Amino acid sequence: MPAATNPLAQGLGVRRQPDPCALVVFGASGDLTKRKLVPALYALAYRGLLPERFAVVGVARTEQATRQFVSRMRTAVKEFARDPFRTDVFETLAEGMHYVATDFAADAGEDLVGKTLDDVDAKRGTAGNRLHYLAVPPQAFPVVVRKLGERREREGWARVIIEKPFGDDLASARELSAAVRRWFAEDEVFRIDHYLGKETVQNLMALRFANGIFEPIWNRQLVDHVQITVAESIGIEGRAGYYERAGVIRDIFQNHLLQLLALTAMEPPIDFSADAVRNEKVKVLRAMRTPGPASVVRGQYGRGWIEGEPVVAYREEPGVDPRSLTETYLAVKLHIDNWRWADTPFYLRAGKRLARRETTIAIQFKRAPHPPFEEIAGDGLRPNVLLVHVQPDEGVSLAIGAKVPGAGMSIRTVHMDFLYGGAFREGVPEAYERLILDAMLGDATLFTREDEVEEQWKLVDAIVGAWSRDQPTFPDYAAGGWGPAKADDLLHRDGRSWRRH
Amino acid sequence: MGVVAEVERKLAQQRCRQEDDGVPELRASTITDVVWAPPRWLPQARRVLAGLAERNPARTIFLVPLPGRGTGVEADAVVYDFEIGDGREVLSEVIELRLRGEAARHPASVVLPLLISDLPAFCRWRGRPDWDGSALQEIVEVCDRLVVDSSEWRGLPAAYGELAGLFEGIVVSDIAWRRTLPWRVALADRWPQIRKVDRLAVEGPRADALLLTGWLRSRLRRDVALTHRSAATISRVRVDGDTVAPPRQRSLSDSGLLSAELDTLTRDPVYEAAVRSTGA
Repeated sequence: MPAATNPLAQGLGVRRQPDPCALVVFGASGDLTKRKLVPALYALAYRGLLPERFAVVGVARTEQATRQFVSRMRTAVKEFARDPFRTDVFETLAEGMHYVATDFAADAGEDLVGKTLDDVDAKRGTAGNRLHYLAVPPQAFPVVVRKLGERREREGWARVIIEKPFGDDLASARELSAAVRRWFAEDEVFRIDHYLGKETVQNLMALRFANGIFEPIWNRQLVDHVQITVAESIGIEGRAGYYERAGVIRDIFQNHLLQLLALTAMEPPIDFSADAVRNEKVKVLRAMRTPGPASVVRGQYGRGWIEGEPVVAYREEPGVDPRSLTETYLAVKLHIDNWRWADTPFYLRAGKRLARRETTIAIQFKRAPHPPFEEIAGDGLRPNVLLVHVQPDEGVSLAIGAKVPGAGMSIRTVHMDFLYGGAFREGVPEAYERLILDAMLGDATLFTREDEVEEQWKLVDAIVGAWSRDQPTFPDYAAGGWGPAKADDLLHRDGRSWRRH
Repeated sequence: MGVVAEVERKLAQQRCRQEDDGVPELRASTITDVVWAPPRWLPQARRVLAGLAERNPARTIFLVPLPGRGTGVEADAVVYDFEIGDGREVLSEVIELRLRGEAARHPASVVLPLLISDLPAFCRWRGRPDWDGSALQEIVEVCDRLVVDSSEWRGLPAAYGELAGLFEGIVVSDIAWRRTLPWRVALADRWPQIRKVDRLAVEGPRADALLLTGWLRSRLRRDVALTHRSAATISRVRVDGDTVAPPRQRSLSDSGLLSAELDTLTRDPVYEAAVRSTGA
C-alpha cells in the first residue's frame, strides 16, 4: 500500500506493517523465550502489529512436541504478558507456532529446521523471510550463524538477532563479528541490548532533542557531572557459570551502562535513522578517555539483608568459587574528551545485591553562582538535578530549590516529577516488543553496531587489563547496601558524592 | 466568593485530603477536557469519562447548560485519584458547572479561568451544536479542538455543511470519523482496484456511511454513490457489489475512541475534505 500512489493511504496513520516472515528462535526452550519473547509476540499480536502471514519456529535440544511447546507458551503468556489473556489472540499466534527438537549444530538438525521452514513458507505464506533469534549461549553463536549463512534462501530476507554478550573481550568480539560478517551484512545483524528498547531510554532522546530548554544547558558549561546507576537487588539467580566469567563489567557495564552514557552524551543526530544515531554514539565512545586504576572501583558482595531477608555472600552462591575474585560491583569515573564534555566527569556504577533495583541517569548541574540566601539556606540548598528514571517508575524528575512557606528564607529541594504512568496511561511496551518489531521492519536504530561494540570492548579490556596486577580483598560490601566504601571515596576525592537514595 | 474561586478551593481541599493517606500524588494533566453536556447527554458523558480519566489524566470541566432554569452558575468539583501501581497515585480533577439561564449562552467566562495554562484544551460537544448559538462560538474561541460525534446528529448530511464552516476557526474532529478508521484501512488495501469505484454500500450509522463515501469521493476525485442501511455499528461494506472483508482491528470503546482523539492536535485535511464531500 505505497502512500505515494495510493491516495487512500494518506492520513490513515497506519504503522508500517512488517513483511510476512518466520521468527526462528534458537534456544526456544529457555527462560528468555518464555518470559520475554513469546509474551512480547503476544503483545504485538494483541495490537495487530504482527504481519498477517507470520510464524514462530522454536528450535532447541529439549524434547517436546509442538503441542507441548504451544501449551507452555500459553501458560507463559498468561503469567508474563502485560495484556489480559485473550484466547482468540493467542490462538492466532499459536496457529503459526512450531517446535523443532534438535541439535541445530548437527547436519540432521539443520535439515529438520530447513524442512520445517519450507513447510511454514508453504502453509503460512511467509515468503522465505526469516528473522533468526539467537537465544543460545555465546559459544554457540559462530556455529549457528555459519549454518544459517550456508542455508540462506535465495528468496526473501534473512536477519539475525544476537543476544548479549557479543564476545568476552575485543578479540573474541572481532572474531565473532568476522564470523557473522561472512554471512550477513551489517544491516542484517541486530545486536540486542534490551535497554535501548526501553521507552525511557528513547525518551532520553526526546527529552534532549525535542525540548529547546535542555540542549543549551547540556554541556560542560552548566553540567557539573553525570551519574549513571544500574543497581540490582537480586543476586546472580543461579547463573554462576556465566557470571563467574562475566562479572558486572561484562554483564552490565560493557553494554547497558556504556549505551546509556553514549545516549546521554551524544551530539544531536541529523535524523532518527539507524546510522545517524549510531554514528553519534560511536563518536562518544571513541572520545572516552581510558580510566586509570584510581578511577575504577570494583567490589563483591558479602552476606547481608535484602528487603528483610538474609542473603548469602557471592562466594556462597551455588556454583561460585569460594575464593572468587569476580566483581559484582563496579564504579568508574569516565571523561569524554570532546568540546561538549571536556573536564565533566561521568560517574558510572552497577552492582548486584544493592539496596534496591534502580536504573537512573542523573545530570547534576552546577550550583547557582551566588545564592543571596546561602547563609540561612543551610543544607537545604542543593544543586539542580535532572533525573531520568529508566526503571522502575519510568519518568523524569527535576530537583529544584523552593522556599519553605513562612517567615524567613528557608530553601528546600523539591522534585517536579513526570512519570510515564502518570501522564500517559497507555501501558509502556516491554523493550522486547519494540525491538522484535523493529527487527522485523529492518530498523536497526535501537540495536548496537559492530563498531560500537568494539569501542565498548576496548574500554573494558583496558580496565580489566589493570586488574590482573592486583589482588582485591573480597567481599567488600554487604548485600543490601550501596556498594563498597571505596566507591564513595571515588566521588569524595572530587568533592562530590553519589546521589542520595 | 466567585464560582471559579469556589471550584479552586474545593479542589485544593480535596488534594490536601488525598495527600493525607501518605501516598505521593501527582497532578500529571496533559489536557483540559471541556465537555458540553446537555442534561440528556450527561449520564453518557460521565460513563465515557469513567473509562477515560484513568487513561488521560486531565482536568475535566462538564458544562451542563440549563437555559430555562434559574440564573447563575453552580459548581461541583471532585478530585479522583488513580493508583499507578508503584505506590503512587495520579490525580484527575472533575468540575461540573451547571449553567443556568443566560450563563448557558456565555460559558467562556467561567471556562477560561479554569483551563490549565499551557496545555491544550479540548471540547467534546455532546449532541448537535446550535451552529449559530453564542455558546458554540465562545467555546470555539477558548478551546483548541472541538470533538463531535456526528452520529449523534439528525439532519445529515446538511449538518456537515455547518460543521465545515468551523474548520477555519478550530481544529475539528469527529468520533464517527475515527470509528471508520479500520474500514478505511480495509478499503485502502483495495488499491488500485478501488480507484474506479462507483457504488459504496454501507450497513451502519448514517454518519459513518456518509463520511466513508465523502472520503472516497474526495480522495479518488470521483463521484461515488452511497446505498445505506441503518445499523448500530458498521457491519458490512460493499464496493461495487463486492463485500469488503471486515477489518482485523478491534473496534474501540466510546472511551477509547475519545482517548484516541485526544492524542491528536492538528487539523486533518483528509477528514475536512471528506466532510465537504458528504453531499452537504
